[in-house]
Amino acid sequence: MSEGAVETILFYAIAAMSLFFAIATVTARRLLRAAVALMFVLVLSAGFYVMLAAEFLAGVQVLVYVGGIVVVIVFVIMLTSSVDLLEERPPLLRKALGALAAIGFFGTTAAVYLTTDFGAAADAAPPAESARAIGAALLDYGPHGYVVPFEVISLLLLAALVGGIAVARRSPPPSQPLTSGGDLPGEVSFTPPKRQNDPEGGASHA
Amino acid sequence: MPDILAGLGLAPGIVHWMVLTAALFAVGLYGILTRRSAVGVLMAVELLLNSAALSFVVFNHFRMPALVDGQVMAVFVIAVAAAEVVVGMAVFVALYRVSHTVDLNRLDRLKNDEVKP
Repeated sequence: MSEGAVETILFYAIAAMSLFFAIATVTARRLLRAAVALMFVLVLSAGFYVMLAAEFLAGVQVLVYVGGIVVVIVFVIMLTSSVDLLEERPPLLRKALGALAAIGFFGTTAAVYLTTDFGAAADAAPPAESARAIGAALLDYGPHGYVVPFEVISLLLLAALVGGIAVARRSPPPSQPLTSGGDLPGEVSFTPPKRQNDPEGGASHA
Repeated sequence: MPDILAGLGLAPGIVHWMVLTAALFAVGLYGILTRRSAVGVLMAVELLLNSAALSFVVFNHFRMPALVDGQVMAVFVIAVAAAEVVVGMAVFVALYRVSHTVDLNRLDRLKNDEVKP
């Protein structure tokens, strides 16, 4: 069997598995199972990247998505105690409308792809070391370089880091200085401002 | 064997890859529209971002394989996805601390002060 046939069979096998796990991600009633299915989708996407001669990207995909994002998602599923809960099935109307939107999108997009002439595939050799080429492109400040988006992304990641910590930590009482992390004993008993129709004054949230 | 597969037009070209990314995107779209849990919606958003990054790499591979611009864009997409997940999950944890739910049907605190039972 030639190399092309192997690649063809591999493509359809990974594509079928990828679609199966993607559907499992959006339909599983247990969120933890959905997270595991999402992890499989992302790992299989790393396989796609290898098939597309983007080995560096496959490594980044596994490191960032599987090693980082899925872990954060699993943490939040557990922190919001959604583990034991079966998510309620969506009503039939919403399912039908969602399926209509998804099928409509897929039909339109696939029709466009099938009727577009993409031209013959370019036949240049890929760079021998894609990681080296990507690094050079990221730090290139010439007209075709990406140094400005690279710096903007670093700023975005810093802002997301600080913002994530600031949003998710316990809010300190107004008398406390903002420099404390909200974990001092005096802050744990913080009672939020009293709301209307709340006989306990929100004390149960402390 | 290779002649049969290639003769049927089954060898994966750019159209096959792009239809695959469109299918993955459509599945994510369905998830966004039907999930009730906010965490589930964010997982569907991850599917969308993943398929978008994949289509960048597909175009890179088939249209200008000597360059890596599409792969650079995919790196940016992955970085933005990481930032988005961190902030989104922090918001959900904070929301859960206040509302004790991440059910999108019950999170309408901008409309009124009370969380629906």
